[in-house]
Amino acid sequence: MQITIRYMAALRDRMGRREDVLALPAGVSDSDALTAYLQSLDPAAEALAHPAIRLILNDAIAPRPCPLKPGDVLAFCPPFTGG
Amino acid sequence: MAAISIQVSHDPVRAGALLEELAGADPDCGGVASFTGQVRAEPGLVALELEHYPSVTENALQRIAETAAEKWSLRQAVIRHRVGRMEVGETLVFVGASAPHRREALKAVEYMIDLLKTDAPFWKQVHTDTGSHWVEARDTDRDAADYWTDQIASEDA
Repeated sequence: MQITIRYMAALRDRMGRREDVLALPAGVSDSDALTAYLQSLDPAAEALAHPAIRLILNDAIAPRPCPLKPGDVLAFCPPFTGG
Repeated sequence: MAAISIQVSHDPVRAGALLEELAGADPDCGGVASFTGQVRAEPGLVALELEHYPSVTENALQRIAETAAEKWSLRQAVIRHRVGRMEVGETLVFVGASAPHRREALKAVEYMIDLLKTDAPFWKQVHTDTGSHWVEARDTDRDAADYWTDQIASEDA
């Protein structure tokens, strides 16, 4: 399945890009498996595995791990720092 | 039913006008409270830059305001948050509430600003005269949000 992955704020700087559009191998069906897969492609993705990282799935804040389906947009977010 | 007003914008936040609007809107309100957050001067600081996740941010702020309105019987709840680049002294955020009594309005404002810091997807970047860096979340902000979560859970139990 193909999904879009966004990297927000400091994670965008760490990854060196805003997003990836990837066709995932069979078996990568949730955000934890995706995080491990991304680390196999790019060592910088280790930052995505930090327990403080939040997820936004298709415009809603999502728990970790969250299941993935074709066409999803998943954003990895550093802890929020508004206000 | 409270009137809730949420806005995230690049436009300047005019705290004085917002407070005046809140204060004059409802004769049944004996208490109007607000918090205004502005960019604090620090050595070397040139500007702050706020980014957010559009649509998710507004929904998160709406939920925070709705929870406050229900919990403290508010008549009005207002949240304005600026995004983009801001210089020292400029207003970053305004949170306001009106209620029949002062205690409810004060608690609601404290709740909304505490939850806003941890539950709405904003990120703050600091530009200094030597470079830029992202602000890291503080444990004290998380503790403040947890305090309210515990309070509400214990009162609902």
